[in-house]
Amino acid sequence: MAMPGAIKRMLAAESAAALLALIAVFVIFSAINERFLSTLNIDGIVVSASISAITGLGMTLIIAMRGLDLSVGSIMGFAAIAAAELLSHGVPLWLVIVSGLAVGVGLGLCNGLLIILLRLPSFVATLATLSMILGGELLITHGETVTIHSALFSRIVISNIGGCVPAAAVIAILVFVLIWLIFHRTPFGRHVVAIGGDIRAAVGAGINIRRVTVGAFILVGVCAALSGLMTGAELQNADSTIGAGAELTAIAVVVVGGTSLVGGRGNLFGTVCASLLLASIQAGLNVANVSSLYEDLVFGSILIVALMVDGLRRGTRRRGMLVV
Amino acid sequence: MVSGAGGLANGSDTHSDTHLDTWATPSEGGQSEVLVRATGMRKHFDGVEVLHGVDLELRSGQVHALLGENGAGKSTIINLLSGRLRPDGGQIEVYGAPVEFRNPLAARRAGISVIAQELELVPTLSIVENVFLGVEPTRHWLIRWADARRTVVTVLEELGVNAKPDQIVGSMSIADQQLVEIAKAIVGQFRVLIMDEPTSALNLSDTQRLFKIVRRLRATGVAILYVSHRLWEVFDLADRITVLRDGQRILSTGIAEIDVDGVIRAMLGSKSSLMGMAARPSRATVPAAPTAPPALALDAVQSGEVLHDISLSVHAGQVIGLAGVLGSGRTELVEAIYGLRRIDAGTVRLNGKAVELREPKEALRHGAFLLPEDRKLEGIFGHFDVRENVILSFDPSAKKVRKSSESGGSETATLQRRRSGLTPIHLQTERKAFETMRKALGIRCSRPEDRITALSGGNQQKALFARAALSHPNVLLLSEPTRGVDVGAKEEIYSAIDRFAEQGIAVLVSSSELSELLRLSAHIYVLRAGRIVAQVSAEGTSEGDILKLMAG
Ligand SMILES: Nc1ncnc2c1ncn2[C@@H]1O[C@H](COP(=O)(O)OP(=O)(O)OP(=O)(O)O)[C@@H](O)[C@H]1O
Ligand SMILES: [Mg+2]
Repeated sequence: MAMPGAIKRMLAAESAAALLALIAVFVIFSAINERFLSTLNIDGIVVSASISAITGLGMTLIIAMRGLDLSVGSIMGFAAIAAAELLSHGVPLWLVIVSGLAVGVGLGLCNGLLIILLRLPSFVATLATLSMILGGELLITHGETVTIHSALFSRIVISNIGGCVPAAAVIAILVFVLIWLIFHRTPFGRHVVAIGGDIRAAVGAGINIRRVTVGAFILVGVCAALSGLMTGAELQNADSTIGAGAELTAIAVVVVGGTSLVGGRGNLFGTVCASLLLASIQAGLNVANVSSLYEDLVFGSILIVALMVDGLRRGTRRRGMLVV
Repeated sequence: MVSGAGGLANGSDTHSDTHLDTWATPSEGGQSEVLVRATGMRKHFDGVEVLHGVDLELRSGQVHALLGENGAGKSTIINLLSGRLRPDGGQIEVYGAPVEFRNPLAARRAGISVIAQELELVPTLSIVENVFLGVEPTRHWLIRWADARRTVVTVLEELGVNAKPDQIVGSMSIADQQLVEIAKAIVGQFRVLIMDEPTSALNLSDTQRLFKIVRRLRATGVAILYVSHRLWEVFDLADRITVLRDGQRILSTGIAEIDVDGVIRAMLGSKSSLMGMAARPSRATVPAAPTAPPALALDAVQSGEVLHDISLSVHAGQVIGLAGVLGSGRTELVEAIYGLRRIDAGTVRLNGKAVELREPKEALRHGAFLLPEDRKLEGIFGHFDVRENVILSFDPSAKKVRKSSESGGSETATLQRRRSGLTPIHLQTERKAFETMRKALGIRCSRPEDRITALSGGNQQKALFARAALSHPNVLLLSEPTRGVDVGAKEEIYSAIDRFAEQGIAVLVSSSELSELLRLSAHIYVLRAGRIVAQVSAEGTSEGDILKLMAG
């Protein structure tokens, strides 16, 4: 209990842990192999971090609301496949992108409606939709890979703006600003937190729980769809493996970023830091020639550490309530 | 700035439904215009009717007090008026038009602002976020936090809360949280203010500040419904009194036409003959075993910035009181003894043995038990039923072992008496124990299997008290033991505390009600700014004397 003040403060600054870890990872991996700092590698990190951050930002809202969305990975895949199919039928690119995002709206809406109409816990409802969406993907593609032939589509994501900033990062920053505004500066965002913090108080304050719930799941659906489109554009093809396991990555970046699973708060900046952290570790293991078989082990350990830190932090907070 | 007739919400584009704007001149149409008329309100829960057709009328510029025993139905009718529950019968009219509130928002939109009995705050949000939750002032979709903060600063000042608008609510004391709850109700626009026991967690000066605000609102033509078990408050503030008993309206009259006795008689009905029979017991000023070490002794205890050099002792069989204003360290002291707060210096002795209590479970192991101040957060288990909540710390073997340990038993015997996790539960014994407690304290519930949250606030408090009693403690720490409890049941709890003392339990009572301390305890320690400034004998001391000591 006699925790040094410095550690206490670090635990309190929720995103600091992820930020510090990020710096450490950079130092360690560039020491192992200077190729880690190559433009190509850094670009790769930024693009993949951008993609996971966008879904993660949406997931931050859901977790702040004390929910979980397990279907984000499948929404990514579905949006990418839908875009690839539409492109191969000659639909104009802008309409393809709009439709891809609309897929996110639609699937998010389904999730939200399931949760409020059947009164299901969100992780149960989205587990069900996860499996249904995957089924839909297989029906559309017959299990095959659809190639994306639009060079422009790919360029929107992987080109470097001004020669150094990957376009994906620009998209991610825009999404971050937008979601930050929604989360901190609109009634909707505060209602999301209120629902996660104390649902009885939220009801008493006249908040329409159902509407906010559906809204949040639509939002995370759009985020996931955007991530899916970007993944498709990066890979220049789409199949049902896009987004496989992305729900776990999304939850991991939220938790590692300092948002507590018990709801009532959300740390968007931490989510972004954690996305960069996980992407760097992945790339670093690659550069250091560690077999990708170990990746999952490493990620799992990071998640456990993050959950432990969250537990500790909540412990100090509860004490803090009484001690401070 | 803060008033029913104008406030921040005025002109904001979130909820400025046009009819809200017409409230700029609330008193037009006379002072006693009926704003809310409820007729024949009925409500039943799981087939048990708890409101049998109650009428209630709220008039502009009037404070209407609603009184009744715990479980009489006060909060239930408020829940109907505020859209938290839907009536099973009856009609609500607001400004003469029949309404059906489908949710709290509808009532709020209709100008009915409510302070619920149990706090409705989001602990992870800041004061300003809580105060404006659901009614955020916005421009172009974005919340105008700067405006909101400015309003909150004024309200907090008026309420006497010393906190920044960005402070997280979960880190505040329960009394301050109650004040935030009040702030929440009085910002923005409303013409009807419903307050369900707003003062049960407040001390005298907070209460008086609140009354000033209530009087000002009344003068601007707001209709106020006020629920409290503190009758002096009611006679201080109310223009009209309605008494409920068992879900029925017993009387409704102007304040001038009735006195305290009349109100108590109406509240208790046939039971009122029992009142006043419980003679004030002769207090055990001399400890049961003067030679034995005190059951609880503190020596120069210091904790952070809130407690300094606290020394006190409570002998077995004694009831000792703690008095002090909010922030005096009264609550914190009890928490420290129970291991909820770090003790930086000094020693705590239980039964003569120096102990280091880092967690409540260690305090429990040494036979200390705390009845917490904040029942919602620290007391009740919302998912458990009433019986489970009451018998939670019950240990049927405790009594027997205590006897043997008294007759020369060792420390280990006391340790062993705690039920281990795998000891089978004796349902029969538990049922009996529960029934005894329920009858003794008059806990009102339709079935022991009801969830505890279905009980009225005062009955929840009684249930917690019963739990404390059944844990067979050596040292009983009570923080606001009668919060929200009605006059009759208060007396029951007082006599239960007296009985505990007679059985040789050491009791430490912390309370904001001085009459309660004087009634219960032999000695009262007065705290101010984290220090004990006086120790007075209850005999021959008046509330005024203690007030003076508390204020310094
Ligand atoms: N949700 C519920 N489910 C079942 N019974 C309930 C529920 N809410 C209230 N009751 C019952 O209705 C009765 C009236 O309760 P209510 O809360 O209105 O009492 P009250 O007058 O406010 O009492 P107090 O002074 O203790 O707050 C009680 O017997 C209570 O047990
Ligand atoms: Mg009540």
